[in-house]
Amino acid sequence: MIDYLQFVLAPQMITGLSLGVAVVLVALGLTIIFGLLDVINMSHGEFYAVGAYLALSLGAAGISFWLLLVLVPLLMIPIGFAVERGLIQRVFNAPDRHTTTLLLTFGLGLVIEEVLAVIYGPNTQRPPTPIRGAVEVFGVMLPNYRLFLIGFGVAVMGLVALVVYRTRLGAMVRAAAYDRDMAASLGVPVALVFAGAFAFGLALAGLAGVLLAPIYSVFPTMGRDFILLAFTVVIVGGMGSIAGAVVAGLLLTQVQAVSSLFISPVWSDPIVFGIMVVMLMVRPQGLFGRLGRA
Amino acid sequence: MHSHVDAGPAPAGAAGPRRLDRLGLAMRASHLLFGFLALTCLIFAALAWRTGDVFYLRLATEALIFAGLALSVDILLGYTGLLSLGQALYFGLGAYASAVTLKAGYPVSGALGAAFGLSLAASLVGGLIVSRVRGVYFALITFGLAQVAAKAVYNTRELGASDGLIGVPVMPIHLGVATVSSDSPVGFFLFTLAFMAVLYGAVAYLLDTPFGRVLIALKANERRVPYLGYRPERARLAAYVLAAIVAALSGALYPMLRGFVSPELLSFTTSGNAVITVVTGGAGTLVGAFYGSLILTALRSVVGSWTSHHLIVIGLLFMAVVVLFPKGLAGFARSWVEDRFARTGSL
Amino acid sequence: MNAPILEVLGLGIAFGGLRAVDDVTFVAGRHQVTTVIGPNGAGKSTLFNLISGAMRPRSGRVVFDGVPCTGAPPHRMRALGLGRSFQITSLYPDLTVFENLRLATEILEPAGRWFLPVRRSRLALERADALLRRFELTERAGSLAGALSHGEQRRMEVAMALAADPKLLLLDEPTQGMSHGDTQETAELIGRLGREVSVLLIEHDIGLVMQISDHVVVMHQGRKLAEGPPDAVRADPAVQAAYFGHA
Repeated sequence: MIDYLQFVLAPQMITGLSLGVAVVLVALGLTIIFGLLDVINMSHGEFYAVGAYLALSLGAAGISFWLLLVLVPLLMIPIGFAVERGLIQRVFNAPDRHTTTLLLTFGLGLVIEEVLAVIYGPNTQRPPTPIRGAVEVFGVMLPNYRLFLIGFGVAVMGLVALVVYRTRLGAMVRAAAYDRDMAASLGVPVALVFAGAFAFGLALAGLAGVLLAPIYSVFPTMGRDFILLAFTVVIVGGMGSIAGAVVAGLLLTQVQAVSSLFISPVWSDPIVFGIMVVMLMVRPQGLFGRLGRA
Repeated sequence: MHSHVDAGPAPAGAAGPRRLDRLGLAMRASHLLFGFLALTCLIFAALAWRTGDVFYLRLATEALIFAGLALSVDILLGYTGLLSLGQALYFGLGAYASAVTLKAGYPVSGALGAAFGLSLAASLVGGLIVSRVRGVYFALITFGLAQVAAKAVYNTRELGASDGLIGVPVMPIHLGVATVSSDSPVGFFLFTLAFMAVLYGAVAYLLDTPFGRVLIALKANERRVPYLGYRPERARLAAYVLAAIVAALSGALYPMLRGFVSPELLSFTTSGNAVITVVTGGAGTLVGAFYGSLILTALRSVVGSWTSHHLIVIGLLFMAVVVLFPKGLAGFARSWVEDRFARTGSL
Repeated sequence: MNAPILEVLGLGIAFGGLRAVDDVTFVAGRHQVTTVIGPNGAGKSTLFNLISGAMRPRSGRVVFDGVPCTGAPPHRMRALGLGRSFQITSLYPDLTVFENLRLATEILEPAGRWFLPVRRSRLALERADALLRRFELTERAGSLAGALSHGEQRRMEVAMALAADPKLLLLDEPTQGMSHGDTQETAELIGRLGREVSVLLIEHDIGLVMQISDHVVVMHQGRKLAEGPPDAVRADPAVQAAYFGHA
């Protein structure tokens, strides 16, 4: 029993937690973009892939992993501004914003995937692990890199929460999410806040890409496999809720990790999806309310 | 009360009592465009038959089959206002049902019957969940359902797992007046064209009934629908089931054409392609699904001859349509035809 | 036969801590115009939502035409004979005026016609035609509803509510934003509709209320403040203080 805990369950849960932290980063971006712009970014998974590929290329060019953790998110910001200003805003006032932006970002995701395939080829690649080795805690072997990933990810989440809930910038963001017209009349530069939020969401996705690239493989359609889980997290947590994304992200990845042990890895996706369906039936607003409203 | 004709600016063009029924007019315009398309297909078939072409006939047949899937997406997206990102679920279901039935030695009618029955049952179950949500949630749930189903098929050895089912036998299709074999390029192309014409006709008919008008009302302004006396969830369920059946019946033709089915048919790529097809062709026109499918297939085969990354071109084209021509190709053409109809007063 | 068309008993709902509608009781008489007045935020529209099935009340009862129907969904209320209009115009802007009305009259057709072409729905077509004439919209029948003037759209709103042959019409500020002349005409129309069917009205124009109402219910902060014939209500000191005092 102790052995099982030590050699099977605990490592599995740590693996789940490191994945969970990365999922939360991706889901945070999605939920902030939805909460603020009322836009579903279907291409979000592809930007996660872009982050991973940037890490791969720049790492191969000799830039250290530690620098990439800052550099790649920074590189995503101008991309985010360009996409928000150049594409999203063009259809922002379409009769059905949800559907139109969903379609547009879906198309964008396809194009990005193919561009990545053209540049890097369709095959799987993996950058070297930046931190090797493992520590033993209560007899459980914990890989150092995963521990770092968890710690770093949690720090980023804390920072996001701090910015959104404790700073003047965050207050403007929440005001714009609550009522954009009112915020505009109060002097909040709404257009800039929107583009900034979109870029920030992409930066988080890119960061998740950097963090996960050494553990999972890097391939052009990697975002597609990831996005359903991220969307599930966003829905279960409550669309537009920051706390919801964190809680649901960590919870659902644990469910996935544990259920693949006890039932079968094949069923872990359907189980998580089932939770989302049940959530939608019972509590459609998700665990937490929307950004700006709670 | 006085007359209020002067109370607002008169709408431009051919307004007046003759244009009472805009939906009916639009549908007639779609019929005309469909007729034109069918005629083009017949000419193409004649030319291909004369030149003995097989490759392009098969390609066009496949385009028509996938047009059926796009048609099913249009019922939801263009008429009911629901974006399905997982319609390939029912297309694949129909294809697998058909392949299994045909391999067991049943005739084509049995394959179509199996696709119909299974999709009806599956969509009633799925619809119980899906019909209670809308908008973004509808898109994400349909997406998730299809992903789960694709994964299930992928892991089911009885269905050939990742390899799919191969060796679907060639079948004679008895049509009363004639019998075509599913491996006759011209014969099966014409059969598919006729089959799709029937599907198109059936969907167009249904949308022109009170039932269809409620779906349209759901898209245009859902808030009012319950006060008109209808239950939005019921109407959504009906639209979902109808779309599932159309997708499954189209999918049922796929193994007859290709002789195999694979999990790829249920994949997000297939669902996504159907959405791209409808939006490019023109959502809310029915006929756009067919124009979109044929044109995109042609484009793919042209671009595909220079590069294997044709999706970049298709994706960019799709994005351009979403931003610049939200009505799509057939939507554009249909408005023009509608205006003609209205002007000549032929209602 | 003069049983009331609508009885509302102790109806209430709260949002968070706010009691939007609190223990409201009144009766709407058959073939009468009953008007609910009160300052903004008094809970009038919420009251309508509770009666028409848009929201379920937390407490209280609704009896419509002798049938208990507390919390019944909108489509069932429609079937019982309730028609409602919206404060914010809620039409089908991309359909023609005629198509809008036909959409609303179609429910009168027997279920057997559900899957027959709409042009065969004779009953619905005739009724839509009659509505066009009655609301003087025949000239505009082929125009898109979205292209109508504000006054015409408000009239459409009432026509849509009346389309399925209701016994009681719930009209939520039908004259909102109308010109003075249009308001006067609409008032006369509502007066006539009150005799024909029955009307429960939310209205801000006090002059109009006094002119056409048979019975007035005054709401204030979610509660019923007073009720009675128009003149009595106007003279009520509590109403004077809470309502006319502000105006």
